[in-house]
Amino acid sequence: MGMSGVKEFCRPQTARDVVELLEKYGDRAVLLAGGTFLHGLFATGLSSGAKVLVDLQKAGLSYVKARNGGLALGAMTTFRELAESEPVQKRPEFAAIRDALQYPPPQIRNQATVGGCVAAALPLFDLPVALMAVDGSVTALGPRGSREVRLDKFFVDYFENALETSEFLTDVLLPKLPPRSASAFLKLETNANDLALLNVGTHVTLDESGICREARVVIGGGVGKVPVRMVSAESVLKGQRPSAKLLEEASQAVSADLHPVSDHRASAQYRSAVAKVYVRRTLKRAIGQLGIELD
Amino acid sequence: MKHLISLEINGELHEIALEPYATLLQVLREELGLLGTKKGCDSGGCGCCTVLLDGLAVYSCMVFAAAAQGRKITSIEGISENGKLDPLQESFIQSGAVQCGFCTCGMILAAKAFLSTARSPSDQDIRQSISGNLCRCTGYHKIVDAIRMASVNR
Amino acid sequence: MSKMNVVGNRVLRTDAHDKVTGGKGYTVNVRLPGMLQGKLLRSPYPHARILRIDGSRAEKLPGVKAVLTTPDVPQIKYHPVYFAPSTAASMIKDMLILSDTVRFAGEPVAAVAATHAEIAEEALDLIHVEYEPLPAVFSPEEAMKPGATQIYEHATNNVAMNPAFSFGDLQRGFAEADYVFENTYETQRVHTCYMEPRVCVVDSDGQGNLTVWSSTQHIFGLREKLAFALGIPVSNVRVVKPTYIGGGFGGKLDMGYIEPIAALLSIKAGRPVRIEQTRYEDFITTARNPVKMHLKTGVKKDGTFIARYAKSILDTGAHTTHGAVVLMVHGFFGFLLPYRCPNSKWEGMTVYTNNIIGGGFRGYGAPQAAFAVESQIDEICEQLKFDPIEFRLKNAHTEGEQHPFDPNFKLSSYRFEECLTRGAEEFGWSKRRSAGSANGTKKRGIGFACQPLWVSGCVGFPDIYEHSGAIVKLNVDGTVNLAIATVDMGCGQNTVLSQIAAEELGVPLSAVKVSYADTDTVPFDAPSHASRVTYSTGNAVKAAAGSAKKRVFEVAGGLLNAAPGDLELLNSRVQVKGSPENGLSLQDVVKRAESPCVNMVPDGMQRTPLEEKGTIMGFASLAPTSNPSPAAVQFVEVEVDTETGEVKVLRVVYAHDIGKVINPPGAEGQVEGGFQQGLGYALMENLVFDQSSGACLSADFLNYKMPTAMEMPADIKCVFVESEEPSGPFGAKSLAEPCLIVPAPAIANAIYNAIGVRVRELPITPEKILAGLGKL
Repeated sequence: MGMSGVKEFCRPQTARDVVELLEKYGDRAVLLAGGTFLHGLFATGLSSGAKVLVDLQKAGLSYVKARNGGLALGAMTTFRELAESEPVQKRPEFAAIRDALQYPPPQIRNQATVGGCVAAALPLFDLPVALMAVDGSVTALGPRGSREVRLDKFFVDYFENALETSEFLTDVLLPKLPPRSASAFLKLETNANDLALLNVGTHVTLDESGICREARVVIGGGVGKVPVRMVSAESVLKGQRPSAKLLEEASQAVSADLHPVSDHRASAQYRSAVAKVYVRRTLKRAIGQLGIELD
Repeated sequence: MKHLISLEINGELHEIALEPYATLLQVLREELGLLGTKKGCDSGGCGCCTVLLDGLAVYSCMVFAAAAQGRKITSIEGISENGKLDPLQESFIQSGAVQCGFCTCGMILAAKAFLSTARSPSDQDIRQSISGNLCRCTGYHKIVDAIRMASVNR
Repeated sequence: MSKMNVVGNRVLRTDAHDKVTGGKGYTVNVRLPGMLQGKLLRSPYPHARILRIDGSRAEKLPGVKAVLTTPDVPQIKYHPVYFAPSTAASMIKDMLILSDTVRFAGEPVAAVAATHAEIAEEALDLIHVEYEPLPAVFSPEEAMKPGATQIYEHATNNVAMNPAFSFGDLQRGFAEADYVFENTYETQRVHTCYMEPRVCVVDSDGQGNLTVWSSTQHIFGLREKLAFALGIPVSNVRVVKPTYIGGGFGGKLDMGYIEPIAALLSIKAGRPVRIEQTRYEDFITTARNPVKMHLKTGVKKDGTFIARYAKSILDTGAHTTHGAVVLMVHGFFGFLLPYRCPNSKWEGMTVYTNNIIGGGFRGYGAPQAAFAVESQIDEICEQLKFDPIEFRLKNAHTEGEQHPFDPNFKLSSYRFEECLTRGAEEFGWSKRRSAGSANGTKKRGIGFACQPLWVSGCVGFPDIYEHSGAIVKLNVDGTVNLAIATVDMGCGQNTVLSQIAAEELGVPLSAVKVSYADTDTVPFDAPSHASRVTYSTGNAVKAAAGSAKKRVFEVAGGLLNAAPGDLELLNSRVQVKGSPENGLSLQDVVKRAESPCVNMVPDGMQRTPLEEKGTIMGFASLAPTSNPSPAAVQFVEVEVDTETGEVKVLRVVYAHDIGKVINPPGAEGQVEGGFQQGLGYALMENLVFDQSSGACLSADFLNYKMPTAMEMPADIKCVFVESEEPSGPFGAKSLAEPCLIVPAPAIANAIYNAIGVRVRELPITPEKILAGLGKL
């Protein structure tokens, strides 16, 4: 299955140890997080040079903890652990994450990890879109120390992220979000075991008088090499009071920034049509969590 | 290059020499002769290979055996005791939920993990718990009946 | 009919305990000492000549025990379909085990057997193949154009077959019609998705004999085809019957490449060879043929058919395989026969393309037709404001009529009308609103579809086997061994046939054990296909049990001093009719038959009559006396999200006349499972290929969309209208296929009722719905 080149298996005990292994083995090392994506990767032949499997389970990277008023999600936190964590269960600003994690089947939720999913840089995945909607960043640890990279900049192309040589992703950071923030996420799929034909994550912040101060609309799925921010839609919302009409206007504005692909799963026109519907629906859901019901 | 690893399967410790890329599915079927776990697609798409790791359902075809060291592995062979069937195995028989049976063991394990925490599951909850398990014979109908029956009878 | 003890009861599957604890009986579990793993090298080109092939480097890889290329393989042209003999005139023999011309991407060109699967894989990369790519065609229309690449010399314009049948006077019929409708409908290529992959183990003994284990629907068919393709006597091949297989649905109804290749590798290596296909390989091994069907239909004001014409173009792929017979079943049982019409004509074309080959799949040509026929009837009724139930009734056959296909038979039990009316009532059909009239973004609608006429097996069909046999053996503990060639592919054949034997012999179900069988030890049974096992093999089992019973009465008659004709078997007891106290346990009767002629007893020796000695057995091998028709109607309610085009199926009512229901939960299971396949066919399943390389783009479960538990409706009701079929075992007919024939048109009709959009192409994707609503 393309994996028979792998000769070594190791289990580093700290994040620093992982960096040392990466420095030692370079391209011949492959990091094993949950393993749900890795098998597919090997099957395509994309990792056929791999000689060493580095298992991250014991490197102390499983956590969901408060940091600087926001959250730090350890790279080895599974989907299930993240979904069951109190912040994700309870806080409306993280509802997009809760929504996104409803979709995978239990076996994937139990095994797939935050870090593996984000580092894969596959625009068809759901969690990265939800994390981008809530303005997440990653912590990259390398020989020269750690640095933060916003998710908007982290995804470069299909399977290509902004990590540099011997760097790896230790956690995902979610910022301290203002009060009256809420988010939502929807995925367009053919059946329950599907990669997104399209997915949408939105996030809004309202001030005390109900005016929208911040908005983020992110679309993934078959819309390009990386998930895309719908900045025109965001501009429509900022500074305005949410209404059914405003949401409709914002959803129409995605045409300016959305250039979906046509492939054997769906056409660009279909993706565009549903993108608008989903932007409207996710915005309505997010705003609904703040006690405002729109038509 | 084979390495010696130790795996706890159904409460028993096994020492096995295997390649680092061997999957848990391969180990169960080829090394240990535990044939109840099935290979339906070998790519995490069908659920026939479902086993439990520390009580959680996973696709054994996507678990590197070496990475399963230190975790409690449960396969279908491990859920009945001294010939006494697990309530789910009983309910699958009673409900007529078994046709060709190839998906059955994966379904039972996914359901077992689900019922270990679910209180009064709705029809939707049950269906979601087996959304990662494909069946071509039954339309899932009597499988859902069987899981509901087991949730009531425990 | 009198109350029965086993038949008709909600019994448990006899193999369920085994399957819930792991399942020992699958072919994937077969292991033999010294067994090698085989792998196939497959062509990356959809159409190419092989100029040179060199396996010598592969042979040298440590662990490789045999390499197979074209010169190693008998060049005997065969057809792989199990249910027709190799010598059948109507079947086209255009396959070779390995050929020097490849005609679809993925066609095997070489093979390796090695000690480990990884070594075999590595060895494939060392086989050197020089291809000369040829132009390829991927649609029947392209293939039939003048100047298109010729896939075979024997098929002009790549047309393998072009049958046509007419009845009455079509032209006059259309002249007399008050209304004429013309529409074209298209269905897609889908895969059976059996969960146990295609797998086999073949062991040669070095003297020209082969023993074969395979996940197959027909052990005798495999024996015959394998012997034919290898050019060896049939008696040299012994196929062991699998205890059960992990699904088939028609996808294991033909000899694949793996069995003859494993055989040749085993002969070469002198060791058993196992080949298990990967899921990718399975997706390109078998499929339901796509069909484009054009219907021209004339109706009269009174709602009766006066003229019907159809032309069907079937894409058979690189080899004919099932394409010839699928086309005929499609034309006759899909189009010409289900309804009465004085003037009709159908013409069909089976066309070669460089797509993958087709296989069998539940319904076998009828789902493609039913989608067209039942959609068009719905369109006709909508436009002319006819009641669609009344329309079916007006044009339906009736019970007692001569069978539309074979005048030797009558429709001896036929409750289509009752299925329609009872199904409609159970469903609430009268509450239907007009199309597209619902409010809101999510609109609901209801629809139904029928398969008014179907088969119970293949008696009367040209070139298709239809006979079954069974052996019954009674044991001294009162149990019964049933030896049959029938493969249980999950439908519950083992259980149903055991029920029939148990009922006939007056024993509990638990007393019947289906035993080991292989092609040397049991009589022929036609394959597990064509909805035939309950009816056809059931009759043979009943007869075999009856013949054992006869012997029981002979022996018991001596012991009870009664004439055999005065005895009955009930509750494991042989007793005199009318005086049950005058009897013996069945066990005691068998013990007597199996005991020594002279027994030592306390006061000396006891002699027992020689005539009563001998194992009590029954045997039968016969063809059924008819081909009775079941009838099926399915009602469906859907909800359509008019902003995204997504369709949810909310509830289903299925009314089916299958004669006596032998195993009610099993019958329900067939309906429920058939609906999963039908829903997939209707809304999401599609085997897609790259249109230049022919590579499959949907060869895994992520890309091939099959309904999960989330997409299936929770509300599925079965209404079984129990007619009594005189020629069937305990009144039974057949069940399996209509369950998959009716869902797609029922769903299509329900979608129309919901949103007023008619989609004439499967699958009905959300995108097609949005396009139909004018939103794209």
